[in-house]
Amino acid sequence: MLPASLDEAVDALAAAPAAVPVAGATDLMEAVNAGRLRPAALVGLGRITELRGWRYEDGGTAVLGAGLTHARMDRPDFAALIPALADAARTAGPPQVRNVGTLGGNIVTAAPAGDTLPVLTALEATVTLARSGGTREVPVSHLLTGLDPVRPGELLTWVRVPLLHAPQVFLKATGRSGPARATASVALVLDPARRAVRCAVGAVAPVPLRPLEAEAWVAGCIDWDGSREIDPVATAAFGEYVAAACVPDNYGAEGAWEAVTEGPTAAAVRLRRTVSVLARRALGRALK
Amino acid sequence: MTTDPIETLDADPLGLAPQVSRELRPCASYTLRVNGFERPVTDAWIGESLLYVLRERLGLAGAKDGCEQGECGACSVQVDGQLVAGCLVPAALAADSEINTVEGLSSGGGASDVQQALAASGAVQCGYCTPGLAMAVHDLLQRNHRPTEVEARQALCGNLCRCTGYRGVLAAVQTVADARAQEAEEAEAAVAAAAVAEEAPAEQPAAPAAEAAPTEAPAAVEPEPAVEPPVYADADAWIEHVPQPPAEPAPVPAQAPAPAEQPYGDGAGAYDTGVYDTSALTAAQPSIPAQAVDDQVYYQPQGYPEQPYQATPAHGTYVPTGYPDGHQQQNGYDTGYDAPVYEPTPAHGTPLPGTAHDGTPPHGTPYADPHPHGAPAEGGAPAGVPYGATPAHGIRLPEDDHAS
Ligand SMILES: Cc1cc2nc3c(=O)[nH]c(=O)nc-3n(C[C@H](O)[C@H](O)[C@H](O)COP(=O)(O)OP(=O)(O)OC[C@H]3O[C@@H](n4cnc5c(N)ncnc54)[C@H](O)[C@@H]3O)c2cc1C
Ligand code: FES
Ligand code: FES
Repeated sequence: MLPASLDEAVDALAAAPAAVPVAGATDLMEAVNAGRLRPAALVGLGRITELRGWRYEDGGTAVLGAGLTHARMDRPDFAALIPALADAARTAGPPQVRNVGTLGGNIVTAAPAGDTLPVLTALEATVTLARSGGTREVPVSHLLTGLDPVRPGELLTWVRVPLLHAPQVFLKATGRSGPARATASVALVLDPARRAVRCAVGAVAPVPLRPLEAEAWVAGCIDWDGSREIDPVATAAFGEYVAAACVPDNYGAEGAWEAVTEGPTAAAVRLRRTVSVLARRALGRALK
Repeated sequence: MTTDPIETLDADPLGLAPQVSRELRPCASYTLRVNGFERPVTDAWIGESLLYVLRERLGLAGAKDGCEQGECGACSVQVDGQLVAGCLVPAALAADSEINTVEGLSSGGGASDVQQALAASGAVQCGYCTPGLAMAVHDLLQRNHRPTEVEARQALCGNLCRCTGYRGVLAAVQTVADARAQEAEEAEAAVAAAAVAEEAPAEQPAAPAAEAAPTEAPAAVEPEPAVEPPVYADADAWIEHVPQPPAEPAPVPAQAPAPAEQPYGDGAGAYDTGVYDTSALTAAQPSIPAQAVDDQVYYQPQGYPEQPYQATPAHGTYVPTGYPDGHQQQNGYDTGYDAPVYEPTPAHGTPLPGTAHDGTPPHGTPYADPHPHGAPAEGGAPAGVPYGATPAHGIRLPEDDHAS
């Protein structure tokens, strides 16, 4: 069924708790075609036009609809608002997928290689979950880590993102030059008001990781009042710092939880190199 | 509809219906609007993709199933004017959308300019990717009348082709873009000339221009203003988040039959695409008997001697006579060898008559000679490995001793 408004949709979900909400269906139909999912009923969200745009809220916040497609987020007007999210949306699959794949679907799927997720994590976004008769607000990191997951009958409706009016960068490493899922990605945003650098590394772990110590350290290296310059040596060190913080020594090892005695695995060395280059470049571009 | 053999067959593609109850296999009936025609779909499982419904239920086999995972683009179609992967669209949720498939590109009768350019520029080898690429190129040129090479590459990056290397496709994009630009230019010049002749301002350049450029119905070229074309022709028009209606009017060609009297849909056992009007075929080529859609009569070309068709032997068919010396004439032309007595290829392992060899034994059969290389130096195969089976890696073979 195709409800035309949010209220209709949450009521439909309340009436049929086994029904599956469908936004762009790019993740959902992949699972259905592969035989991993047999939906009992479908509630299409594509006709809920209010979720396909965004609005502004006091306090410098943009409220993004869950139904914003990747193709829409890639357009110049959106890219001027939240550049890193536009960059992430631009690389999230081929045009056929970006034309229909949505921000909400990307968050709810919570795939390790979900491209908007490190950006939302770095931006410390919060999401609104609506059910019949109420809503609640959850930080996106709580949703992704499973601390506070989406409950049955709930719809992800809005994503609140602070407008920082400062450079932000999203970089992604993939296995081929065409559209592909990330082997590692880095989102980095500057928050001049709080004199902070926030960084999140995607695709190296089940959820995006925040290298908090590296962020705090590098924020201290930046001349916030002046030209926001930084010593290139510090930029390189930041890359190494982020990589070491996000890729454990035993990355890719057989028994991943056993203590490693022989130094980092080859996979860890390779991935750290990737992450450190991404983080170094991201910082360099943000401060340029 | 329920008596339609295709329908009854496809309603249960896996033969699961008797075992799987309605609750596990919820179904829906809906109507899809494909290339301007209403196509009813009855009792389809809600998990069926648009690609599946188009191909298996509606007989529109243009979109291809390459991966069912959104990776290859062979299934590309337009839904509400947007290029999507048909395999990732739940058909039941596309019910009130406008769907355009590759069959719609050629609804004017012949191949569209995009399709012709693809064929002409060597962008087609096996052709499996071609319907998807035709839709992607069509979609690109609808949005962007003068794509650069980079823009074209970005627009086509979701369409994989294992054969051609994409050069031909990129060339086809430029060919069509150039041809359409030139056509629009000419149309505009004609309008300007007419305006000058009438000494009246050209108020509606669009209407005569569209008439002057009737390339094909769905992709009718919008005449470009003479100024520098914007990168995205609709960039200014796209302000709202509401999906834009398709750029062009519903692609019902004027000469196509109205939906009510469409010749397909009843198709008892017929596999028709819904686009090719067989009566038109008959009219155009009266010498060739039309391929009747519902009686499966194979078309027998005239001009060949009337004789029962002799099929080419299947690959691997046993030809006992080989190349004889006195080979004979057959069917009026020289076959190069005697009319063979066809015999089916024997099953693997069947002893061939007349050969000393007993035929290849089935896999795993112990060899007659247990020690083909002479007795192993170190007491034969390790216990547990039946002799004749490939030993596990790392086990010393007799040959290894020779090597060292
Ligand atoms: C070929 C291909 C390449 C891809 N490449 C990338 C890539 O590079 N990067 C990337 O990040 N992703 C990629 N994806 C994944 C996918 O496109 C994105 O995750 C997309 O954002 C999913 O959105 P959707 O609207 O299609 O979600 P859907 O498939 O509609 O939904 C996904 C899940 O979320 C649930 N859901 C959706 N919306 C809501 C809502 N509002 N409230 C509650 N639940 C909801 C659904 O029930 C479903 O379980 C790719 C996919 C394909 C097929
Ligand atoms: S079959 Fe749909 S993208 Fe491959
Ligand atoms: S022509 Fe064979 S896949 Fe493209």
